[in-house]
Amino acid sequence: MNNAGPDTASRAVLRLLRQWLPDVSVIDGASSLEQAIAGDPPILRSAQLVEGGSIRAVRIPDLTRETTSEFGAFLDGTQNVRVIAHHFGLPIVLGTVSAAIRVRVNRRFTTWGHQTPRVERKIYAPLRYIPGLAAAGSSIQGWQIVDSSTADKDGQYPSEHPVALYEKATRAVDRDREALEDQLAEEWCVRGEAPLFVDGGISRSARVSASSCAIGVIKSHRTLYVEGDALRIVMGLRRGERSSIFRVSPRSRHSVLSWYLRLREAEGHDPMWGLVRVEAADCERPAERADEVSRWIIAETSPLALPDGRWDKMSYGIRDCEEFLRAIS
Amino acid sequence: MSEALGRVVATERKPNTPHEFHFWTAIDSPVGIGTIVRVDGSQPIDGQIPHIFGIIVEGFSYTDLQSPMHDVLGHDGLPTTAGYAPSERAEIRLYTAAVLRQIPEEPLQPVPMGQVFLADEADVQVALRMDSYLKEGASTGIPVGVYRAGGTDAVIYLDADFLLGPEAAHLNITGVSGLATKTSAVEWLLASLFTHFPHEKGSIAAVAFNVKGPDLCYLDQPGKVEETDKTLYEKLKVEPKPFGSVEYFAPYTAKGLSLNTFRNNEELLDKVTPLTWGLREVLQFAEVLLNKDDVDAKADALIDFIREQVVDREFSDPLLSKKHKVQSFADLDAWFRDVLQGMEKKDGESWRTHHVATIRKVRNRLSNISTRCAGLVTNTGEVSDLPFGSFTDRTVYVVDVANLEEDAQDLIFARIVSKLREHLERRDLGVKHLVVFVDELNKYAPGDGQDTYVRKMLLDIAERGRYLGLVLFSAQQFRSQVHRRVVGNSGTALFGRMDADELSTPGYAVLSPATRTKLATLEKGQLMIRHPHFTQPIFVRFPRPSVMQGREGAERYPQSADVSLDAAVLRALRPLDPTITLPWVQEITALYSEEEIIRARNATLLARPENVKAYFSAQFRKIIPAQAAPRPLAASIRSAPENDPYGF
Repeated sequence: MNNAGPDTASRAVLRLLRQWLPDVSVIDGASSLEQAIAGDPPILRSAQLVEGGSIRAVRIPDLTRETTSEFGAFLDGTQNVRVIAHHFGLPIVLGTVSAAIRVRVNRRFTTWGHQTPRVERKIYAPLRYIPGLAAAGSSIQGWQIVDSSTADKDGQYPSEHPVALYEKATRAVDRDREALEDQLAEEWCVRGEAPLFVDGGISRSARVSASSCAIGVIKSHRTLYVEGDALRIVMGLRRGERSSIFRVSPRSRHSVLSWYLRLREAEGHDPMWGLVRVEAADCERPAERADEVSRWIIAETSPLALPDGRWDKMSYGIRDCEEFLRAIS
Repeated sequence: MSEALGRVVATERKPNTPHEFHFWTAIDSPVGIGTIVRVDGSQPIDGQIPHIFGIIVEGFSYTDLQSPMHDVLGHDGLPTTAGYAPSERAEIRLYTAAVLRQIPEEPLQPVPMGQVFLADEADVQVALRMDSYLKEGASTGIPVGVYRAGGTDAVIYLDADFLLGPEAAHLNITGVSGLATKTSAVEWLLASLFTHFPHEKGSIAAVAFNVKGPDLCYLDQPGKVEETDKTLYEKLKVEPKPFGSVEYFAPYTAKGLSLNTFRNNEELLDKVTPLTWGLREVLQFAEVLLNKDDVDAKADALIDFIREQVVDREFSDPLLSKKHKVQSFADLDAWFRDVLQGMEKKDGESWRTHHVATIRKVRNRLSNISTRCAGLVTNTGEVSDLPFGSFTDRTVYVVDVANLEEDAQDLIFARIVSKLREHLERRDLGVKHLVVFVDELNKYAPGDGQDTYVRKMLLDIAERGRYLGLVLFSAQQFRSQVHRRVVGNSGTALFGRMDADELSTPGYAVLSPATRTKLATLEKGQLMIRHPHFTQPIFVRFPRPSVMQGREGAERYPQSADVSLDAAVLRALRPLDPTITLPWVQEITALYSEEEIIRARNATLLARPENVKAYFSAQFRKIIPAQAAPRPLAASIRSAPENDPYGF
């Protein structure tokens, strides 16, 4: 979210919109819609256990200060969703998505040379309810227009409620960002140079989810794949401990191995402090692989990702990606 | 075209201006404080892509760390574990550069965004406006050193018109003692000047006052030249060899037997000429030696009277017992004695309006000069001087005053500079341009303290010398303590390694903190240069002078110990006639007093006759050896009779 005035891209889009919608209303500051949207509901979901008979805490062996990381690159994406105008209350959104892989060379980061960073900007508007803009087609002077009022898989169209339309636009931006991330991750896995640290899950792409080159690290826990005693065990993990491995098979996604890992001691903090969930491709010796990857991820906790507020879970490589994308997008 | 090494950046907090800009580089970029860079703008101005040249004056490095505490926490307070972190924090090298030149020069705008390149040799010439005086066939460039940065080796030239006049002139060098920077830089620069000063601009020579140690005593002797220095000499197109023409001048010691110089080793004496002055020469500059508080207007009037009416004239007066012709301090003392005796006889209080007390005071003070400046001032009036009127092109005249008392140093300095000025005004010195090198300006032209004759002379050279072709090369340890008008009139300033205390004085506030720090840590052979064409100071390297250094010379040609009178005469005359031997000297001088022998030696050295032996012998008065008186025969003693042992 951004509460600054219109930037260069926004002003360009507004000029175009005025050509097609003379009565469009400009929003200078932050829209209240941007604050109204809620995230996914927090849920508990069961998962198929891969290691042992029940979820337990596993102390990661051979974890020392000298533990090194084999990650050779970091992938992250960012998105910016901004309501720049409305047409009789119907939100018109400018969405910016970007993704990049930053490669580590001699302990310093540089942009991966084989695939340039991606930055895309699109207009997300409920064309069904704004016929004047629908007449412009799928793009205006090079600006792609995405319909944020399409029917869902059940054939239901969103209502004209501005928040519902804004949520729909936001989901579309999410998908675009994920698509960019997946493209880059797939390209990386094709080359198979070194393990790639992916910020987020890897189960969206068949190629990535099956590749030993990509490791997904999820920092948010709106969905927890443990219930009951297993939940208490995961919440009680100490630094340097992981949970037993389980298999995550979300609908419309691909199956991957997963486990929880505590990066920092949570004492005095909330129970999810320093807790990440790791996703990796299926393999022959999952426990060894989980220990190995966990060591790498813990090694990546130095240097601290401060001043980012999520520094307890974030690796410095991902912070570098975000800073890079902030600079270019 | 070389690769870009940086990009110009500007923020609202740190904007670029027409005289300063900021840029970042890669971590391993070969730039640093003093590096010259070129910015290529991207938007044409009046149809021309702007090029901006700048010199780095400040550098910054930082990471995305907001608090040092975050790094401590990140490594559990153990610095050793930081090395295990798989990643280095994002780090920036941000530099600030001062603009040297913008092309086009109008309209003068803030430095635009653009790529930054390392300046190559051609860029350096443009950046420092050297292109205006390095034109083919009309070059007035004098190489002063080599600018080095990131593989660029560019010769830095001073403009002779701004170094020796008439546009601007004078050069001042500052640096801490003991690093051989000041003297070495002057020796090198003189070598470069003598090599590159355009012949069509006329002849040039230098007078160097050696005020301390033996540093300037071996300019004609070859020194060690390292391979790295040879490369520099080659680049700067100066032959690494000692000065071809050097003449030394030094007074005698107080005893008058040997020359009072570090260069009095017999092997080197042939190029040393005694410096001796008589009454006439000294009286012109009496005020240098006389204390103003002590000698009042009345005494001044008497000194003027003596200078105008007495010296070198037949002087008679009813008061005096005889006619006087005063040509030496001895004559002057006799004159004073006669005047005072005459006044005593008449029981008079004054003579020719001069009170007896004033006459006694002036006699006392003037007579004292020959004692205070013994070795330089002769009682007898003999003069051995610099060759005013016949100075030769590309010659260094070294006047060694290092071992003299302060009074004698002042007298020598004042008289020689005055004579040089007189001759240059009359255009009959022998050369068109003359460089005068004076070290220890802190002593001779201090910013505070009472006004001295020497300081007035230095101010006069600094302010008016360039119109005459008289150029001051001066040096000191503390520029801040030298008279502002002396250093202020120096068009060119060189700075060697500086003392931190000196750098904290207001005069250096115009330099950035980084530049000041670099000045405090300069290596031997490095200088910072300010020159009228350069809008910012430039750092250069210069080669070690190809002359023997003072310490090495003192070891190789040790100073001669005090010798006997005969040996001193032999040493003085042998360079004129190698056949002279000690027994010959002893035979000739055996019957004469020390004063007569010294006078004969001095006269011979001054005349430099073809037949040295004959000339020297002729200086002595004839002495007929005394005949032994016949001895009267003694009367024989009568012998005692044999039978009378008592002789009765």
